[in-house]
Amino acid sequence: MYKILSEETDKSGMKVLNIDKSDLVELMEEYKGKGYYLSSITGVDMKDHLDVIYHIHNFDKNDYICVKISTSDEKVPSLTKLWKAADWDEREQYDLMGIIFEGHENLKRILLPEEWAGHPLRKDYDLKKVQYVSMDRSGNEHVSFDETEGW
Amino acid sequence: MSHWIELNVGPVHPSTHGIYRFRVKLNEETVEDVDITIGYLHRNAEKICELSYFVNNIIYFDRMDYIDAMNMELAYLRAVETLMDMEVPERAQWIRMIMAELSRIAARMVGIGAVGLDLGMLTPFFHTFHEREKIQKIFTEASGGRQEVNYMSIGGVYQDFNEKIINEIREFISQFKGKLEEMVKMLLDSEIFWQRNEGIGILEPEVALDYGVTGPMLRASGIGYDIRKDSPYLFYDKVDFEVPVAKTKDNLGRFLVKVEELRQSIRIIEQCLAKLPDGPYFNPKAKKSAMLLLKGQGDVFTRVESESGEFGVFIRGDGGVKPYRVHARSPSFKNLAVVPEMTRGVLIADLIATIASVDAVAGEVDR
Amino acid sequence: MSLLVRIHQWLSFLGNFTSLGLAYILQTIFILIFVGISFVALIYIFRKYMARIQRRVGPNRVGKFGLLQLIADLFKLLGKESIMPERRDDMAYKLAPIIVIIATMLAFMLLPFGNLAYFGSLAVTHSKVTLILMFGILSILPIGEILGGISTKSNYALLGTMRAVAKDISFEIPMMISVLAIVIVSSRSYVTGGAITGGLSLSGIVANEIIPYGIIEPLGLLIFFISMVARASYSPFDLGESDSELISGYTTEYSGMRFGLFYVGLFGMVYLSSFLISILYLGGSNGPFDHYVGFIYLFIKTDILVLISFLIWVTLPRIRIDKFVNLGWKYLLPLSMINLVYAGLFVLYIR
Repeated sequence: MYKILSEETDKSGMKVLNIDKSDLVELMEEYKGKGYYLSSITGVDMKDHLDVIYHIHNFDKNDYICVKISTSDEKVPSLTKLWKAADWDEREQYDLMGIIFEGHENLKRILLPEEWAGHPLRKDYDLKKVQYVSMDRSGNEHVSFDETEGW
Repeated sequence: MSHWIELNVGPVHPSTHGIYRFRVKLNEETVEDVDITIGYLHRNAEKICELSYFVNNIIYFDRMDYIDAMNMELAYLRAVETLMDMEVPERAQWIRMIMAELSRIAARMVGIGAVGLDLGMLTPFFHTFHEREKIQKIFTEASGGRQEVNYMSIGGVYQDFNEKIINEIREFISQFKGKLEEMVKMLLDSEIFWQRNEGIGILEPEVALDYGVTGPMLRASGIGYDIRKDSPYLFYDKVDFEVPVAKTKDNLGRFLVKVEELRQSIRIIEQCLAKLPDGPYFNPKAKKSAMLLLKGQGDVFTRVESESGEFGVFIRGDGGVKPYRVHARSPSFKNLAVVPEMTRGVLIADLIATIASVDAVAGEVDR
Repeated sequence: MSLLVRIHQWLSFLGNFTSLGLAYILQTIFILIFVGISFVALIYIFRKYMARIQRRVGPNRVGKFGLLQLIADLFKLLGKESIMPERRDDMAYKLAPIIVIIATMLAFMLLPFGNLAYFGSLAVTHSKVTLILMFGILSILPIGEILGGISTKSNYALLGTMRAVAKDISFEIPMMISVLAIVIVSSRSYVTGGAITGGLSLSGIVANEIIPYGIIEPLGLLIFFISMVARASYSPFDLGESDSELISGYTTEYSGMRFGLFYVGLFGMVYLSSFLISILYLGGSNGPFDHYVGFIYLFIKTDILVLISFLIWVTLPRIRIDKFVNLGWKYLLPLSMINLVYAGLFVLYIR
């Protein structure tokens, strides 16, 4: 049985549930049974830990619920078994924020090239370091820190 | 079958209007599998937003769904204003509504024209762009920008409507009604157009919901969910309009839903023009000299109905003058992800027709 | 009296053999220029006409009313680098556009353009089997398409070629059968009912065609028109190119002037098919005073057909490949058979 740590209402009038990450799949399973669908996944880098925020939506009741978890080891259970929408969303958060979704079968980068170093949305990402992308003959992208190898 | 060809539809291809890449596994002409690669237009607007002031970020949202810029701004500003508890004067809200609907028409003009273009029919595209150009002239008059308008600002709009703009909008609306029917007739009168669209690219409602599909695609699958109607923002509860729903679930349904929404947009603009009140057009709290000092704290998630679906913006503020985290829930991103489900086992020509009817905007997919 | 004989007469001071040879060359050049100028005008008209349909202005920068735009485009194409795929089959790759353009030009040389007052009949050849020659040459065209498509070893081109071949096979047969019906009908004069010759040459058919054959067999006209749209491969039957699906089909890997030759070949086919339809079905150069101004009748008919083709081109979406092949085999082929039987019965009746 999952445990809701705290419940609040945010500024836009949305119900927010704070839970532990081990309860996530159980809670989401219950909400899926109630007719909720995944709308978006947002990762927030809080420097000492990562917040992962799920927005789920019931089209019949017109109800939006926000579920917040936090993780200190970058690992979060995947929701791909529940909703197909989680596939690309989790890949995006993995790509840009570096959250590892455990149980995701195809956890690859989606927006950036596969060889990209670092996760840009992290607060400690070094923006001064320029990475150059090039493409080989079979269409695979390669990343290099050397200016001459990029486009 | 072992005899398949891998065909690259994109990133440089006439029918992927933004830049995304479909690796299509073909068995002769039949599509066996589609693998989508995105990210060619990725600029990481979310990171850029974290680095600059709240008001400076409006333009980065313009560049997400670049064909429907007004709705993008509106989505961002709704989140920012909720975060800052900023009131928006009534006149500014009506003006925003008119602009959002005009922008929706402009974006649909691209979408509908491109449907014809991808079916090998060049002419409707020019006609729709002709109409889009007229809207862009109105935008230029109001904001100085054609495509990336940057018209709305925190607490109101950048510039008030004068008589000239209102007259231009009236003039546009009155001639557009006839033109719209003409353009739609041009497409729908063709028997081949029906053959190419009817029963192609079926999207079952359960699949659509599972993938998080919204907007006209969801409404064409039989679920009549429209944020403007179901959780109204601005003054959408004070105007009279219908949400069209198609039960056909195919490309034709999506086309017809888009067309009917255009008619409803015209109705909304007409009512807005009639109800446009006098008054201030921005909140004095957000006057230009104080703009950079606006602060926000807390989490907000707000949504608007953009041309391709539900555009949500999540903002976390840490009490500073810059947002701590901005996240955009982009509808095209979700709509594109469902394309492989819709096109398994169809012909390559149907794949193209389906991509056209999904009408994903690369700027918004990649952000 | 024909153009050849006139030139032969002028050059008679050179001796019989030399003057005849020169006359052949000169009249070919004359007809080439004649067709070429009308062809350039046609492309200009197409671009203006298309622009009007699409609420644009069309070419208006080079020369007065953009009249010289085509020449500017020609120089642009000539000046462009021809980018060639590395893995191509070199000879086939380079041969393909040449085959297309030569076959198109040769086909024009077979057409009877009708009479021009003093010169007599304008035609390069007066062979008795121009009809057979014409369709022989037309069947060379697909070879160019196939060579061009397969030699580049590109998947787009491969698919485009497969479509082009499917298209050519499924529409060649109804087209030939409807032409056969014309040959049958023109074997007897419907004025006297007597047997006449010349049914296998285009000029012979025109001479027999006092009432246009399109009136006698409208079904044949329809089938031939549709087949010719498919042969010329413009929208809605531009499956070989299908630019929104296969980028440009078999011409994907061509650039510069080589692509330009394919493009000219496409327009040439539109023009040629309009000529063939007006010759075979609409009475060709027949009309009042056709001994003096016959070619004007032919050109008016052809240009109207070309404009109709352009209208179809710019306003119809592309048909899907399976529906397209169905149209050829399931509808046009049986209809053309019915048309053939009808032609036979018609000939029996007038006898």
